[in-house]
Amino acid sequence: MKKLKQLLKLLTMLLVMFITVLSCSEKLEENDGQLSADDLDFTLSENMVLPLIGAYSETYSRGWEDPLLIGVRGDDVNAGGVGDAQGGFTNADLFSYDNGYWMFNQVWENFYGDITDIVNSRETIEKYKEFAAGNYIDLADQYIAETKVLSGFQHLQMSRLWSDIFIITTSNVSEDIDKGVKTKEEVMEYVSDLMDEAIPFLPDMRPNERTDIPGGITRYTALAIKALANLELENYQIVADVTGQIISSNKFSLYPDFYELFKKPGQYSNENLFELQFSDYNSDSGDVNNHLYAPFGPASWTPIVTTASPGWGFYEPSLKYIKFMIDRDDETRLVTSVCFTPRGIDEIMLDPDYTTLPSYISNVTPDGDIFNDYARAMFASGKHYLPSNQLTTGRNDYGSSKNFIVIRYAEILLMYAEALTQGASGGSMTADQAVNLIRNRVNMTPIAGVTTDDVMDEKFAELGMEWGIRYFDMIRLNKYDELSYDGRTFTAEAEYLPYPQDQLDLLPLEN
Amino acid sequence: MKTIFTLLLIFLFSVHAFAQDILIDGTIVSTDDNMPVPGVNVIVKGTTRGVSTDFDGNYSINVNRGETLEFSFLGFISQSVTIQNQTTVNVSLVQDIASLDEVVVIGYGSQKKADLTGAISTIKAEDIEKTPNSNVMQSLQGKVAGLQVTSSGSPGDSPTVRIRGVSSYNNGDNTNPLYVVDGMFYDNIDFLDNSQIETVSVLKDASSVAIFGQKGVNGVIIIETKTGKFNQKPIFTYNGYTGFQAAQNVVKLANAEQFVTMAYESGSDADIQFVENAMQRYGRSRVNPNIPDVNTDWYKEVLRVAPIMSHSIGVSGGGESVTYGVSTNYFSQDGILDMKNDYERFNIQSNVDVKLSERLKMGTNAIFSNATKYNAENGAWFQAYFAVPILPVYDELNINATPIPFSDATQIGYRSSQNPFPVMRFNDNQLKIRKILASLYLEYSIIPDKLAFKTSYRHDYSTISERNVRLPYFISGNSQRETSTIIRQEQIYSNQIWDNTLTFKENFGDHNVTLLVGSSYRDEQYNKLKATGKDIQGIGLESSWYLDFADPTSFSNQVEEIGDRFYALGYFGRLEYNYKSKYLLNATVRREGDAKFPKEIWVTTPTVGVGWVISGEDFMQDNGIFDFLKIRASWGQLANGALGGSAGTRTVSQVTTDIGDVSTNGIISSSNFTDLEREILEETNIGISARMFQNKLSLEADYYIRDTKKLVIPVDQPIVSNTVLENVGEMRNKGLEISANWNQSINDNWNFSISGNIATLDNEVTKINSASGYFDTGQAEFRQRSMVGEPIEAFFGWEVVGVYQNDTEVQNDPIAVANNLVPGDLIFKDTDEDGDIDADDRVVLGSYLPSFSYGGNFQVSYKNFDFSLAVFGQTGNEILNRKRGEVLFTNDTNMDADLAINRWHGEGTSNSYPSSAGRRKLWNQKMSTFFVEDGSFFRIQNIQLAYTIPSGALLGKNMPETKITFTAERPFTSFKYNGFNPEVADGIDRQTYPVPAIYTVGVNIKI
Repeated sequence: MKKLKQLLKLLTMLLVMFITVLSCSEKLEENDGQLSADDLDFTLSENMVLPLIGAYSETYSRGWEDPLLIGVRGDDVNAGGVGDAQGGFTNADLFSYDNGYWMFNQVWENFYGDITDIVNSRETIEKYKEFAAGNYIDLADQYIAETKVLSGFQHLQMSRLWSDIFIITTSNVSEDIDKGVKTKEEVMEYVSDLMDEAIPFLPDMRPNERTDIPGGITRYTALAIKALANLELENYQIVADVTGQIISSNKFSLYPDFYELFKKPGQYSNENLFELQFSDYNSDSGDVNNHLYAPFGPASWTPIVTTASPGWGFYEPSLKYIKFMIDRDDETRLVTSVCFTPRGIDEIMLDPDYTTLPSYISNVTPDGDIFNDYARAMFASGKHYLPSNQLTTGRNDYGSSKNFIVIRYAEILLMYAEALTQGASGGSMTADQAVNLIRNRVNMTPIAGVTTDDVMDEKFAELGMEWGIRYFDMIRLNKYDELSYDGRTFTAEAEYLPYPQDQLDLLPLEN
Repeated sequence: MKTIFTLLLIFLFSVHAFAQDILIDGTIVSTDDNMPVPGVNVIVKGTTRGVSTDFDGNYSINVNRGETLEFSFLGFISQSVTIQNQTTVNVSLVQDIASLDEVVVIGYGSQKKADLTGAISTIKAEDIEKTPNSNVMQSLQGKVAGLQVTSSGSPGDSPTVRIRGVSSYNNGDNTNPLYVVDGMFYDNIDFLDNSQIETVSVLKDASSVAIFGQKGVNGVIIIETKTGKFNQKPIFTYNGYTGFQAAQNVVKLANAEQFVTMAYESGSDADIQFVENAMQRYGRSRVNPNIPDVNTDWYKEVLRVAPIMSHSIGVSGGGESVTYGVSTNYFSQDGILDMKNDYERFNIQSNVDVKLSERLKMGTNAIFSNATKYNAENGAWFQAYFAVPILPVYDELNINATPIPFSDATQIGYRSSQNPFPVMRFNDNQLKIRKILASLYLEYSIIPDKLAFKTSYRHDYSTISERNVRLPYFISGNSQRETSTIIRQEQIYSNQIWDNTLTFKENFGDHNVTLLVGSSYRDEQYNKLKATGKDIQGIGLESSWYLDFADPTSFSNQVEEIGDRFYALGYFGRLEYNYKSKYLLNATVRREGDAKFPKEIWVTTPTVGVGWVISGEDFMQDNGIFDFLKIRASWGQLANGALGGSAGTRTVSQVTTDIGDVSTNGIISSSNFTDLEREILEETNIGISARMFQNKLSLEADYYIRDTKKLVIPVDQPIVSNTVLENVGEMRNKGLEISANWNQSINDNWNFSISGNIATLDNEVTKINSASGYFDTGQAEFRQRSMVGEPIEAFFGWEVVGVYQNDTEVQNDPIAVANNLVPGDLIFKDTDEDGDIDADDRVVLGSYLPSFSYGGNFQVSYKNFDFSLAVFGQTGNEILNRKRGEVLFTNDTNMDADLAINRWHGEGTSNSYPSSAGRRKLWNQKMSTFFVEDGSFFRIQNIQLAYTIPSGALLGKNMPETKITFTAERPFTSFKYNGFNPEVADGIDRQTYPVPAIYTVGVNIKI
């Protein structure tokens, strides 16, 4: 009997233990340490801005390869370090593309990574909108419009490089991929339409007038991207209309000091329609959001601020560009666009036509930084150069805290001027007036009766080294002779990059 | 009770003893360790007279002349001595390795080795102690067939351990076995000291590990730490060694002359300019005026000879109802990389088991490990390979450099600073690793010897406190750190397991049954807090290396926390049945729920094993060859819970960006997420266990087929740079494992044993669910592809068939003409024979998994001398020489001498390496057999010579037994691979820490 009692006691104990263990099983549903996108509190409308900032963050945090690969093929720029630096990059400059070269895939993934994140952000904002009331509904529409502009800009850059690409419209990427690649025309039309969708909801002001998101997207950024897309489509009348709209808003003006436009003083100027924002927040420690400008910098220099870091010498303004500028005596823009090394200056003078150079050509920049000889390149890009004396104390990275201008009013004026010379009609001003506004800033004498060629020369001088503008103009106008410079031969097949091998392995794609 | 009985016996027989004429006394020791053996039965043959030895192994008994004394004890071979005139009979008992009663630790219990049906290997303490290192798994390298151990040279780092290939894709932890240390689950046992370990059991097949559930999918290694025995006098031991480590097989780098030749032949003006710059800066060599007067061997500069030592003291023993063991250990090892890179560990361990009553038993066990580790800057190995030899380590001309005038390659024109010393000198990365394992169990025998209940609770609390200090320095604009930084990181692991089991044992005639049911509840918590501060006040003093002294504004956005917590619950049951110990059946089932898989929380997996002890049959009696012969087979299913948790949904992360010069917060939601089902492993194992020729030869052979279903791989996502874990297909590992051991005692003075093991491994993807028929992993430029019929994550690229030797050869090859090739460029195989070289010509270039591995051990002892030699090797694996591959990204750097000497530089000079100029061409930089090399090696793993001084032999009675050992660990390795270490776990050698040879002198003392 006693034994039985003991046994019962024991069994009760066992039962209690098993029940305790069982009660733990509810915990199997928990997932600590993760925040599901569906668990965001969409009723907190003031948080609606967070996914939008995320979309800006993705757009701003550009890989260093992006502007390099976009720009290198133009006759304004050479790859630094032929035979020494990255073979695939040098080859791209020479219009010979190896689709296994890592940088092609990197740039592809950089842009598409951003696009998918931006589309995600848009969908998150749309969920906030469902619970929003009053002003927040309008704000949601504006934010959604901003993400469309950011997405359109990146699609535009992609299609310029690869022509036919996937258009990504939803977070269900595979659905868009299943639709296959779209032709460049289709992509550009998509971008143009996307801007039309966005424009009504965007603030009617300059980016630097925005107080909620200073430097963010406005109606004019969208108009500018629409103009760029239509320029690619050679819809010159639309280009003239859209750029005319920007001009006649009278909101934008050229920043008076061309040299400083590309330095810290030019940030958030009235000329900028779109700039990627970077900052070290004027402190030597703490948070920093910077672009890696080092590839643009000289591999050797003697900066005024001795601790300032040099760069890699990957991006070299071409002799063709320099001689073109010397021929025009385009002093301000040449000195701004090109940093010279002693070796580079000697190289120019090897040409019997350039044995004596204007005195402003020097390896000392206007701010006093001295560019030394280095093997990889003879010149460095001045527009991507931040004088060492503008660096925040304690921040030595090349170009630290400098914003990256993407679209500026000068380009709008010149697109407008070109559209008119291509036969479009515009109501804002004449092509001459537009071109001379540009020339006037840099003390160049006015010209009259401008032709398309004049506008192209002006674009070359004004926008050299910036975002491959020159290259995309030349392939649009089929000016292969301009691209066939310094021993290169450009042919139609070289216009676009091949799809990266890595993507061919992953997708039903063919080159 | 037993003791009382024994005492009674002694008393009983001592009454009888008056009738006998000689008093014999003596001591019984074990030949194995020369320790006294208490409780040995000493019986006069043919009578019932007998005694037992006491705590000190002593006995005394009265016998008649001519009678024979028999000495027997469980687990030892019995001996008998016929008494003539002697009065003292000391006996050294030999352990019976063949004992049928040998017990093997299995999950939640133990089983007689003879009754096993799965594949389990057991390693004893003495095999572990020979290897000087901090991690017991290193000691098992080459010792267990099917267990692949890849060494890690960095002090305190754990080796990579794989059992029977990879069951899952290779991602560090995912292929690690489960370690069960005194019942607690671990992924990593770097906290355990070798001297604390009693036995290691390697559970290889599914049926053996099934009881542990899904954590055991990569195999289970059960480790039991040392404890005392009942009725054992305290035994004090000291084990210690000290020695040094030296790098082996150091790769020869191109020297200045070879490097300059390569630079000139590269055709790059820039590179020639750099050489000129170096000559201008450092002068010209007097031997060859065309090369700079600098010839730095960077490997030599960064390497050093480093000390290693270990000291352990322990005491263990037990009384009638209590056993105890206490030990402490100090281990210290410096790295062979010449920087603060060392590992120091202090351990204490104690365990007590108490019989509270006839039925109730409890025990507690605690291990505390306190380690300090300074992490090596592994990048230095990479930089040392690339740093040009025409750059000195120090450069007095670098007047702006502070605090040490290191040289900088940018000053002679190179893009990067190259010199590895700034990161080695100005980074201080300290980790304080503290681990506590505390456990408690209570065992109650409900029906004595039949039904027992056991509950046990274990808690592993580990903290890793990291302090990464970056000191300020200036070498050049490119190599500098203006403000000091401290990165502090606190990681806390708190893992708990609560197990309850009920064991029922009964013999129904010849039917022997053991039934186990139980539950196991697991709670795993992890938390990481990280903060970064800059601009530290008083950075020159280690006493101010605290975030308190950092600039407070620098914390903005520099504090982060990551945490997770998973719960798992398992129920299990196991039936062990045998009929006359001849026909064996073992079956297990486990049902387990795990929060990591929201899609499918619960999973049930069964296993079954059968065995036939043929030697137990009548027809096998007295066959003269086999002492024991068993065939066994098992089948089992396991679910893999080792893979990280599925998010199951899109997740949100925080970002900050600059908006109007203000750091602004935003969120990004992931576009991809994991939503996995568990991998399911299915394994069939067939084996033979045999002992032959009077137990001199023992043999174990196993053949297994292990299928991974719903194989999980991180799949490259199209268009974006992202990989997502997906269930993509199936994989099969199969192989044969044989181990044999010959043990023979020639005479009293001479003993020898020889053992060997071989294992084959055939890894193959058997099914892929995608339309393309393959999945890609790895870096895009160094592709690894998994496709049906090929090994998982096989290297994938082009096959080099030669080098274009002359213009005629180029002109005659349309492929060469089309691609503007020149002599000195590689010839690739046009696999599809379509007249061009493109993506379709890519083939599988090999696998990182060795297809064959072998180990051997030879041991001989003569009197007090012991000599042993262990060898180990593997073949069939390939290594991606990623150092050579870096030329894709930076091509003006140095290279290994082999590449420089054997370059193509004219007709007939090379048919495998391109010319210097060719090396820089994209054409030759394709992923190819040029970068993928044979990883086979053979190594003398360990040589040890030991001499034992018996107690009292040297300094009289007070001198304890002392053993002196001389050990050479990994003194010799032979391989073809162009790197200094063929041990590369994942097959990609970019900056692998070299594994050094170790030479030590050791002392073991027992009192």
